[in-house]
Amino acid sequence: MGYLETVRGYVIENFLFGDDSGLEEDTSFLESGIIDSTGILELIQFIEETYDIRVEDEELVPENLDSLKNVVQFLERKLNRGKPNKESIG
Amino acid sequence: MESYRSKDQLKICTKCILPETFPGIKFNEAGVCNHCQREESYTARGKERKADYREKLDELVANVKGNAPTYDAIMAYSGGKDSSYTMKLLKEQYDLRILAFTFDNHFLSPSAKENIEKVTAALQIDHVNFMPQWPLMKSVFATAARKEVFAKAALLRASSVCTACITMVKSLVLKTALEMDIPLLAFGWSPGQAPIQSAIMKTNAAIIRENQKVLRRIFADQFGNTTQSYFIPDTYYELYGGRFPYNIHPLAFFDYEEETIARELKTIGWNPPTDTDTSSTNCLLNAFANQCHLEQYGFHPYVLEIANMVRQGIIPREVGIQKIYTEQDNEMVAYAREKLGIVSDE
Repeated sequence: MGYLETVRGYVIENFLFGDDSGLEEDTSFLESGIIDSTGILELIQFIEETYDIRVEDEELVPENLDSLKNVVQFLERKLNRGKPNKESIG
Repeated sequence: MESYRSKDQLKICTKCILPETFPGIKFNEAGVCNHCQREESYTARGKERKADYREKLDELVANVKGNAPTYDAIMAYSGGKDSSYTMKLLKEQYDLRILAFTFDNHFLSPSAKENIEKVTAALQIDHVNFMPQWPLMKSVFATAARKEVFAKAALLRASSVCTACITMVKSLVLKTALEMDIPLLAFGWSPGQAPIQSAIMKTNAAIIRENQKVLRRIFADQFGNTTQSYFIPDTYYELYGGRFPYNIHPLAFFDYEEETIARELKTIGWNPPTDTDTSSTNCLLNAFANQCHLEQYGFHPYVLEIANMVRQGIIPREVGIQKIYTEQDNEMVAYAREKLGIVSDE
């Protein structure tokens, strides 16, 4: 399963309870109220566990975590060291 | 509105204590919930992770201790068991200069106030008591009890009333930390309340700013503009950009055993309260907040936290079941309802 599908599934299951209406790839989690600051921490826990990575303090920025698109691009950079990925979006 | 069902009428995960009414829950053939299945590997590595985080805290303390102009840490201090124990750990094991910050929401129990006095005196810790105006707090709690104010996901972890209160607490302690240039922001979250990954984490100004923007909007819309003074002013992000502190919640990685904690706390004068409900050691509003949540959503607002602790082996499943699936104290519910001016059939 690709990054987008995996992260989207987690967000829909855990923050939207199955209702994905209004969740676009560039929807801001924080601004839309889908995820609050504690929810961001849960999202970090999920991606650390799923992809066996460590999200460093300096990586905890909205540009990496505040939308599906941002999370996918962050994972691509982190896991593929910037190589193009077929899961790329946008 | 969900109608609340008792434990005997509910399907409950055979491993933790999450009920079938918990949003998004799924069970496998053995009756084990998706949360237990997902976190199995993570829970297995818990011990190793805790050791790593203790080392990480040692390093962080070594870097910041004594360098700030006033205090090393500000403690969000409710006078309850977990924040008292956290403060004791930070003072006795790390000898930090701590400022205890209490948000008195007008429902602090008399025994909690007594515990606050005794603990801060025993640990020789400076203490600030912040008491917002009653008409505002009355309006905040009465509104939060009856309306859907916060995002759905926030209500998995706490009642709407508690979410309103803790939102104000978190904002105020961060605001104070920024103003006083305090590098550590300490909370007494239990090991079930927040993931270990966030137990030592540098706060990020941009994330805080986005989150505060949403919270300010919610509070202004629902509770009025008076609430805005409790949030971080926009000017602070430029003014104090380099001062954003580390959030720490050490109980995620220190041993957490209720009897040991009670014994340790007794040595500094903290006594278990007799005037609060079973899921709080400081607040007289909690039973009412729980009751509202149960009636509105059909699950107990503490169930996720306690389920996490059962899964981690911190408390036995039967103890967790008892904590969660016991009816709220009617007298305490009635006390809060009356104080908030809510008639019972609203």
